[in-house]
Amino acid sequence: MTSSQFFNIATGLYILGFAAGVFLPRRRLVAPAFLLSALAANAAALAIRYMPAWPMMPMYLGPVALPLVLCLLALFVSGRNGDRGGARCIALAFTALSAVIAALFPKDFYLPFLKSQSLFAHLFFLFGTLGRACFLMGAAWAIDGLTGKRSLEEAQRSPLSLIRSFHWNVWGFSFWTLSMFTGELWSYLGWGTPVVWDEPAITTTMAAWFFYICLMHLHLTGAWSARSRGVYAAAGALVVLGLTLPPDLGPFRWVVQL
Amino acid sequence: MKTLFKTIWQKICSIHLTVALCLMITADSAWGYFCLNRHADLFEPLNDIGLVEWIATFGRHNLSHTLWLMLLLVLLFLLGLNTFACTTDRVLGLVSARSRMGARRFFFRLAPHVMHYAVLIILSGYLGTYLFARVLDSRTLVPGGSMTLPGTAATITFDAFDPIYYEGDALPAFENRVLMPRARLTLTRGDDVSTAVLAYNRPVRFEGYGIFLKNFNPTMRSGGMSGRTRIDLSLRRDPGVRLYIPGMFLFTVGLVMYLVERVFYKKNKKETL
Repeated sequence: MTSSQFFNIATGLYILGFAAGVFLPRRRLVAPAFLLSALAANAAALAIRYMPAWPMMPMYLGPVALPLVLCLLALFVSGRNGDRGGARCIALAFTALSAVIAALFPKDFYLPFLKSQSLFAHLFFLFGTLGRACFLMGAAWAIDGLTGKRSLEEAQRSPLSLIRSFHWNVWGFSFWTLSMFTGELWSYLGWGTPVVWDEPAITTTMAAWFFYICLMHLHLTGAWSARSRGVYAAAGALVVLGLTLPPDLGPFRWVVQL
Repeated sequence: MKTLFKTIWQKICSIHLTVALCLMITADSAWGYFCLNRHADLFEPLNDIGLVEWIATFGRHNLSHTLWLMLLLVLLFLLGLNTFACTTDRVLGLVSARSRMGARRFFFRLAPHVMHYAVLIILSGYLGTYLFARVLDSRTLVPGGSMTLPGTAATITFDAFDPIYYEGDALPAFENRVLMPRARLTLTRGDDVSTAVLAYNRPVRFEGYGIFLKNFNPTMRSGGMSGRTRIDLSLRRDPGVRLYIPGMFLFTVGLVMYLVERVFYKKNKKETL
């Protein structure tokens, strides 16, 4: 089986896992079963592209790796933050959505290039994927905090959700920054300049960085109300999916053709 | 006069200005994506020619596609001013309040300011690169050939091409192809002679120049279409690199300080919004 076929299967399983979590909440084993299978298929899709290319780095792999990392964080880390299901459910929706986007707009037709044989290139990819996943977790917590039911208990819970959202965004910002720095070091070693001006992704990377710098300042100085900051953090999902993913996406390809 | 200066300083320090500038830079960079995606050829020369020369040629004559970059430079300059004023103001406040807080608290309170000053150093480094870097692009050497570095008496001699070939079978397109090009060089400065290996992602530094491998031939074991051995070099004398790489390191130090405080010292503290 090819990497694309594995990834299409993973995408279907992510959707089923998310749907099972929403519509069959009492059958506690169904959703995890789908999601663990999806993780295995996604990991296989990633390995099939990564291993033959090593020590080079396969190009445009970010959208394939994002659902894997996001689902792992939602399943195994989010619960430790006191998540009672809301944020995890939204994060799984983001997982399914990002997988659908990556499956429909694959950019898997490029061969790896020689200059990608650098530790910094691999770290750039790893930190970038972790950064995006943490940002989406932050957006999931923010949406959970904003849309939670308005009972007394929930009203008390909302600020906690926004604090959790900030916590994830801090980690996202840290990984994103490290991704930028490793990318710049790779660019310097490979091309002699900190920015390679024929790669449009630099602009969206920078846009996301400044978007989250703004969020850090808003939170740490308390410049806006908690709710406004929550809306801003939730909008981070649009920045991640709408700005940082497009440079890694290819033309539309209907999955059945594969 | 003193009041006027204070008022201007306070305006520059404003967090609202920071937020507005960050949002404008985000929007401007997003606009830049579309311009760069469709007209990458306009921006590629920025890798080799200085910013002033680029603005005077490509930038000025294609304003509809390059205006975002000019605007970005202005916004980054304003953000630099805002960052400097804001963080200096707070560092002065922290220093004066130092006696009222423990050494540990004072140390970790400096974390955001370390990151702020690091950003200023990085931005200065980039400016130095794009204003003052001297680039000698596409100098070709064949085995035995040599060149003198401009402004010096130092020479580089290309001794031999010693590539590593792709040995696997997972990527048929790479069969018999060079995986890692390596060029053996002799670097001569008067009586001082040394050797170096130049490869992709492994530049050689000599006499203040960074020597980068840009291209090479042959690309295949059998010699490919043209078996003539050659390497194309890009030589750069870049003063900015001495700023932006330490700046990145300093930012990472500040980030680690901030994360250590969050993870180990604020873990059990009740956070507020």
